[in-house]
Amino acid sequence: MAKLLVDNDKYAEPNTSVVVDAYHAAIHDLIRRKLDDVGGDWASFVFDKSYDLVTAAEFAAIEKRLLATGHRFDWSAMISVRERPEAYKPATGLGEDIKTFSFEHPDAVVAPADENGREQRGIGDNVVKLSTNLVGIARYIRSSDRVLDLLTSGVPADTVAVIDDSGGTLTAPILEQFKGVICAGGTVRSHLGILTREYGIPCLMNAKISGIREGDRVEIESTAAAKTAEAYQTGVEMTARIWRLAK
Amino acid sequence: MGSSRISYSQLLETNNLIQANADETYWLCVTRTVQESKLFPVPAYMMLSYMMAYYRYPSLLRKIEQSLSAEEIGDRARNAGIKIQNPSMGWALPGFYLLGREWLISLGLIRPQDALEDLVYLMDFWKRFQLSWHRNNGHITNKEFGHRGQFLPERTVQVFHADMYDCKQGDDLHEAAQAFMAAASQYGFLISCESRISLHNSGPYKIAEDREMIVRDFMDLSESDFPWLDGVAADVPYNNITVTMAVKDCHFYLVDDWGSFESKPEFTADKLVGVGLYTSDTLSDGYVPVAMGSREELTACFKNLTEKVKDATNKLWRRLAGWSRDQMIDAGAITYFSIVKDLAHVAGVYDVDDWMMVDERAERFRPLFNDEYSRDALVGLCIGTHTSHRLSEYTMMQHSNGPQRLYSLIPYSVLQGDSYTTSCGPVYPGTSHLPAKVDRYNTTRGIIGLEEYNRLAREVRPPALDPKYRHLCETWVKYHAGEPLADELYKIEQANSRLLRGKGSGLRRADVEKLRNVR
Repeated sequence: MAKLLVDNDKYAEPNTSVVVDAYHAAIHDLIRRKLDDVGGDWASFVFDKSYDLVTAAEFAAIEKRLLATGHRFDWSAMISVRERPEAYKPATGLGEDIKTFSFEHPDAVVAPADENGREQRGIGDNVVKLSTNLVGIARYIRSSDRVLDLLTSGVPADTVAVIDDSGGTLTAPILEQFKGVICAGGTVRSHLGILTREYGIPCLMNAKISGIREGDRVEIESTAAAKTAEAYQTGVEMTARIWRLAK
Repeated sequence: MGSSRISYSQLLETNNLIQANADETYWLCVTRTVQESKLFPVPAYMMLSYMMAYYRYPSLLRKIEQSLSAEEIGDRARNAGIKIQNPSMGWALPGFYLLGREWLISLGLIRPQDALEDLVYLMDFWKRFQLSWHRNNGHITNKEFGHRGQFLPERTVQVFHADMYDCKQGDDLHEAAQAFMAAASQYGFLISCESRISLHNSGPYKIAEDREMIVRDFMDLSESDFPWLDGVAADVPYNNITVTMAVKDCHFYLVDDWGSFESKPEFTADKLVGVGLYTSDTLSDGYVPVAMGSREELTACFKNLTEKVKDATNKLWRRLAGWSRDQMIDAGAITYFSIVKDLAHVAGVYDVDDWMMVDERAERFRPLFNDEYSRDALVGLCIGTHTSHRLSEYTMMQHSNGPQRLYSLIPYSVLQGDSYTTSCGPVYPGTSHLPAKVDRYNTTRGIIGLEEYNRLAREVRPPALDPKYRHLCETWVKYHAGEPLADELYKIEQANSRLLRGKGSGLRRADVEKLRNVR
């Protein structure tokens, strides 16, 4: 079988992603076969014959073989799992089950209730230091359906949006109406962090929380120092606390 | 296979440019942000866009240069807040192409010496554009300048400085400007499918001992190139909006080649002490003031623009929420790939089929771009974990100290007979799952069709770029201020200025400040 340049890579190491390794091994095999089909002539293959020989159908077949092993893909965009539920891991906390759903981060810092009845349920990176902490009602915003509902019916007062999307598009039409934001991803420089800063909305990014459910009263430590670029680069922890309050 | 038309010096320089981009790409990807979205399949569209860039950029740049050289377009880039700044030119042009190349190398579909003439040409185009755009600071990138983005000539900065209105937290103008910038930033992310491609910050410029000015561009806001803005953005009156922003007691120590900034102490709304508002495009003669006649007019304009932008945001969001995954991927990939499309607008050779379609060679790869593979492959490209990135264990990459290189260098062995190929070929037909673009473009010359847009663009030559003035640079001005030719040059820029009209070339910063205080 034809040899590719990558077959002679002196310093090759396995990829840290098993999926990438599986795909790339399959693609290398595909290209070797197709190169064989044209007699191994790289010059006529690379930007000419390969355009017809290395096709979408061949790539789709690679994915099909991986799925046949039982692998299901992680999803990042809702539309992916919505259109092809058979190819992705199931999505939870997006529909009716929101009432019992909670983010459960393994590194969430929790502590028993203090003298004020505040039970610490996590930490996050503060976007902007403010003069007072923020208290509000936790509401999970994780799907475009939920955003559309709130766009139609209005965002309830005192909503502290609990989000796992550090982007700035999912909540675009209603973001300004949030009293605060707890985001389980990103950094203070993610798009959601940038926008909450522009709007003056208290926000913790990269939040590691546990046990906060829809409708819980929460307090976020907006008075904590804002996490700096240097802190991210040097790995220094600069976190603000998140408490669940007695109802 | 190619014959040896590439020289040793060309390879040395190209590899240097590739390596400089590799170092900065790693730093930007690791330190700037984590990109994700529950709405858009971002990694999937980014991967597709890199393929589009790899297969089309070289041909499209050659087409552009048949009309206007990279250096001439670089000169224009100092004259308008459009997508020939950052992140488009400082990073994305070489970045998207090289990321696509590296992924194809890791797949075994190409070798580092394939499409060699495409690669050498693209990096040379980029170098010539960047050096021209940055000629006032003498660097090739913001990175080389210590992450600083000063490229405007004094005459432009003086007009921005002079005409800006003071504001302070709590007053009407401050609130209106802040609200607009928040709404426009959000709209920008939505237009650009979760990317920051619609936003650009440059500067800082020191306008007083305790104040700095940042120039913020919000781009492609109205009905123009993107089919998904047809209809929903019809009421946004300007396609490109530039906000000049004075900030007190706050130093912008970093303005990167993605067009984002950082400051010490952290920039917060209370530090905003001055604003101005402009529009511009390929057809405008530089920056055109918007509602800058009075403080009240400007305040009202910011409020009006905020409402328009919010309305467009809601309409656009509802449209996007009903899209299929393929439509989302197309829009995102086209947004990324077309980040340098304004090069074609400036040259008057813009074609919808060139910039708003997915090349069929790139389209082949779509079945690979499920969320998980796309995410892992993208992260690997950005931090250097694919096999093609690996180097000898003795090697320590800049920033990571790991044995990696983000972009493969061209092997010099091609100069002694090792085989290589020259080009990936011309532009192939493209496809799209999106509705066809309506032939309606909101420009500073009104709403026009593309044919007229291209015709006007080919006719335009901004007065300051007339051969009589084009090379009257900042060094020349230093020794000729007050002379008739220098005054002529400055008066071109000052023609629309409220405070500097006709003042000429002799003013220093303190003189401008005095004129501001006379009001």
